Amino acid sequence: MEHFKESGAMYAIAFGVIAFIAAQSFFFIIKSWKHGKELGIKKETLMNTVTSSILFSVAPAISILVTVFVLAKALGVILPWIRLTVIGNLAYETVAAETALNNLGGSLSTEITDMKQFSTVVWAMTIGSVFPLTFLPIVCKKLQKKIGGAVSKDEKTAKMGDILAAAAFIGIISAFIARAINGCTVTTEAVLDANGNEIIEAGKRLTQKVVTESSGALSILTLIFAIVFMLIFMKLCKSIKSLEKFESFAMPLAMFAAMGCAVIFSKVLPDSIANFTWYEIGKAV
Amino acid sequence: MDNKRNYFDRVHVWGTVWNYAALFMMMMVPVMMSIVLNTWPSLSIIGKVVATLAPLYWVTGIIEVVTYVPMLGAGGTYLSFVTGNISNLKLPCGLNAMENAKVRPNTEEGEVISTISIAVSSLTTTLVIAVGVLVFAPIFSSASDNPTFKAAFSNVLPALFGALGASYFAKHWKLGIAPIIGGVLVLLVSPSTGVGVLMFVTIVISLIAAVIIYRDLFFPVIKGFGKKSKKATAPAETEESAQEEE
Repeated sequence: MEHFKESGAMYAIAFGVIAFIAAQSFFFIIKSWKHGKELGIKKETLMNTVTSSILFSVAPAISILVTVFVLAKALGVILPWIRLTVIGNLAYETVAAETALNNLGGSLSTEITDMKQFSTVVWAMTIGSVFPLTFLPIVCKKLQKKIGGAVSKDEKTAKMGDILAAAAFIGIISAFIARAINGCTVTTEAVLDANGNEIIEAGKRLTQKVVTESSGALSILTLIFAIVFMLIFMKLCKSIKSLEKFESFAMPLAMFAAMGCAVIFSKVLPDSIANFTWYEIGKAV
Repeated sequence: MDNKRNYFDRVHVWGTVWNYAALFMMMMVPVMMSIVLNTWPSLSIIGKVVATLAPLYWVTGIIEVVTYVPMLGAGGTYLSFVTGNISNLKLPCGLNAMENAKVRPNTEEGEVISTISIAVSSLTTTLVIAVGVLVFAPIFSSASDNPTFKAAFSNVLPALFGALGASYFAKHWKLGIAPIIGGVLVLLVSPSTGVGVLMFVTIVISLIAAVIIYRDLFFPVIKGFGKKSKKATAPAETEESAQEEE
């Protein structure tokens, strides 16, 4: 009965979710495309947006796919597939599943074979993540109206709006850059005894926080090379007339080139440098 | 102006309908799975789990809504919150598309470009994951353990935000210094700070730094606002003097 996680009915539920996402995305593309034409946006600009967005999304999507397989070891492939297609995010999903399993005396490190445990994990992951959808329409309209009002005022206000918008974008980007420089990710894991068995105290599993990811030499080098590649590509697109139309592809290309460099560095650099991280992976904190 | 508001209003109506339809669909997933398995979790365990997760998820949810809505536009927001992976995919994708098309967020042109970009990104991600799960499951299971692929995919975010950052820093390099230093300092004190909280801090630092850097533009407006407030209420005086000190 361990295949209950990947039965035909489970696949049918996953396809239902995918059909919904596809319908919603196509609906918004058609409406926006029509309105873009009404506004006089060139077809070439709209097509460039589509192509560059596809290119931009492929690498992160593959990275999400890899995380589906990471979670699939415990949960089967269908549940992580659905959860990471709708609302999902690896950090939240892992924490939700682990918390639910901890309450049931289980862990993500082992395959779930009990249907009750699986059902609890499904509910916990869903309830935890749907909350923003309950109030989003109300807040979204109010925030948009306020911002729209500010943007459409005089030129000086528009300039201030532009600077604040750029500052907010840079604030977001900076958080990720800072994490690439000296951040780490921790997860809650069971404490094991000398025989590798979980320790139970007062009916509950003893847990600890363990470093699962850390920035280090490779993340900093990838970051630097992504910046350098992007600056070179931007300069090329600006100075060579025939390359101007490829400007929108500079960003995904720089990203792929930097990821390629990460692979090369992991192969050519001495292990002590390539594997250097600020925080030791697997260490309890 | 009327047309503009009409278009935004229509987007909000479509977005609201799709949002609540998505909420219903999402809740149907555990219901359907429980029916298929003929197993329901006990309410007490669900209650315990929600009590543990609520502070983490819901507070972050509120911060995310307030942070992302101004950046993504209406259509982009409704799509992003349903399809997820906002900070690591939808947001940079939308920002990149608006930058390439040379349009500003919160204008109708920005709204159109951002929505198309995020919708295409959602379709691409959904397709890549679906094809990957159905066709490449055995290959990727071994690839995820392969150190060569691991080096590339564990560094997606530095590659993505390095490239995206370069395009912004090329234009506004002064604005990048304070939030990066601020973010690094926060992580020195608390290295595992989640990206949701860290982002909130770096955005605030970045906005304050922008006001100080472009003080010639902002201070007269702030002072003007302070004088108006001073007439209306007494406590405003303290705020004004604090801003002047800054």
